[in-house]
Amino acid sequence: MTPRTTRANRWQLVLVLALLVVLQFYVRPRLWSARISPDFLMVALVFFAMRSRPGAGAVAGFVVGLVVDAMTPARFGAGIIAHTLVGYLAAWSRAVFFADNVLVNAGFIAAAVWLRDLVLLGVSGVDGTRLLTELTVYAPLQALTTALFGVLVLVAFREWFSIRLDA
Amino acid sequence: MLRSQDRSYTRADTWLLLGCLVFGGIALFLPARWGYDLAGALRGSVLSPLVWLQERAEEGRTSRSRFRAVTAQRDSVALAAQTLPILRAENSRLRQLLGLAGRLHTPYVAAEVLHQPTATDGRVLLLNVGQRDGVRVFDPVVAPEGLIGLVTEVTPRTAVAMTWANPEFRISAYTADGGAFGIIAPGSAATASETELELRGVPYRDSIPSGTVVLSSGLGGVYPKGIPVGTIVGITSEQRGWERVYRLRPAANPSAAAHVLVLTSPRDTAVVAAFPSDSILRAVAADSARRQAQADSVLRARLADSILAALRDSTARAAAATAAGNTTSAGSTAAAGRPTPGGNAAVGRPAPAPAPTSPPATSRPPAAQAPRPAAPAHRDSATVARPAAPRPAPSQPAAPSGARALEPGATIGAPPAQMRSDTVVRRVRRDTARTGRRDTIPGTPR
Repeated sequence: MTPRTTRANRWQLVLVLALLVVLQFYVRPRLWSARISPDFLMVALVFFAMRSRPGAGAVAGFVVGLVVDAMTPARFGAGIIAHTLVGYLAAWSRAVFFADNVLVNAGFIAAAVWLRDLVLLGVSGVDGTRLLTELTVYAPLQALTTALFGVLVLVAFREWFSIRLDA
Repeated sequence: MLRSQDRSYTRADTWLLLGCLVFGGIALFLPARWGYDLAGALRGSVLSPLVWLQERAEEGRTSRSRFRAVTAQRDSVALAAQTLPILRAENSRLRQLLGLAGRLHTPYVAAEVLHQPTATDGRVLLLNVGQRDGVRVFDPVVAPEGLIGLVTEVTPRTAVAMTWANPEFRISAYTADGGAFGIIAPGSAATASETELELRGVPYRDSIPSGTVVLSSGLGGVYPKGIPVGTIVGITSEQRGWERVYRLRPAANPSAAAHVLVLTSPRDTAVVAAFPSDSILRAVAADSARRQAQADSVLRARLADSILAALRDSTARAAAATAAGNTTSAGSTAAAGRPTPGGNAAVGRPAPAPAPTSPPATSRPPAAQAPRPAAPAHRDSATVARPAAPRPAPSQPAAPSGARALEPGATIGAPPAQMRSDTVVRRVRRDTARTGRRDTIPGTPR
């Protein structure tokens, strides 16, 4: 891969991530229930982590978590930890055993969303019935919608992401 | 086995992860006040574009929901406006019926007509009152304008009334001037339509001019005396030297009757005074229309006030949005949904007092309390005696509206206080002068 091609792919990745950020803050408020609508920031974080080293994924997760904590001032710091872990684990698992498959990609995104919610709720101190409801109802639904949207983005921009989809 | 370079990458990644987690933990255990300050500083600086984006999205969603609400409100208003004429007509008719109920001395039962979509609907009416309400067979059924028919069948909860349009219908009647008696029956198909009546058996020597009101005579013990049945409009046939048959325009239309009164016993009392002349009825209708217009003016004033409040609200919001500038996302988003001072809250304020209009007729002093002559039998000529009734001083306290529109016991000789306006007086005098009738009914007090 030539340096020019690498630079082009980088800009294309930045463009797609910027598009996802705009979708998160301009389109998501217009969608249906915010509890189950897709999390575009998580899609962007996972796609970035899939192309990066675990350290870069952790830093990206830190930034995304900082943004989330700043925009949703419920428990400052919980989002940072949750997204940092998700970003690091996404990059690490992609490097270890991740396969280029549409369904595996979708499951990977869904697992990332569910894990994020698990860590976020745990660190925030939510427990009891609400934690159970969130983890068994809303988190899976949001993971599902986010995974579906992530697959759409993968299919639409697979050339830009340099991802080889077997399925 | 990882190479040394790969292990250095792994260590770097691990250190980055640990560093991020440490920073996250520090942020997590910061005092809440510091966390809020840090989040606010981020929203006001590097995250301000994202906040701006989210504000635009919230505005779009709010505008869409408001548009839907306004559209639904407009549709509701349009639907209400479509039914407004019907409601006005029903309101006017109920006012007339209320007035009739107040003037009647005989016991009565108010009933609602349950119309059926059949061709013979006007001949037989189903009423929602029955034996439990005191209704019996042969009880007369009247409307504010005059006679509708009589009850022919009664069940515990319902009753069937035969109207004057039924071929079986007959009633003994006399002209309002007492000059002629006869039997009223539905118009025969050969000579008249079903919407007309005939006054039969009038002696040839008795000539009845057109426009003469025909009342029930009270003979036969079914109908009380004095219920308007119709008005003479012409001659149907005549047998020279024997009798004349006159055509009558019915006083009341059974097909249009929605609410009626069923007169229960006793039936030997005269109810002439309960049915005012056409001029009085027109005055009542005019008064009802005037009340409606007054209510409409109040509604228009409130609507104008609401529009002004909405304009002030939008202006205040625009000024606040301009002054807000770089406000934070949460604060600005929440402020978009909050009512601004003097904004929407002003819509709910009571409307200012409407422009002073002429005082409603119901606030005038009760004329019925003043001494008045006895109720004459003649319907229109009795209005001649009305100006003689002393008018109470304007300083007397106003009586409650509604029930005093036409008080019980009020007669034509002294119209109710509600109708004592110059318009009513002029109309009554004009009607009296045009008809030029006299109290000629024998046996009735003058």
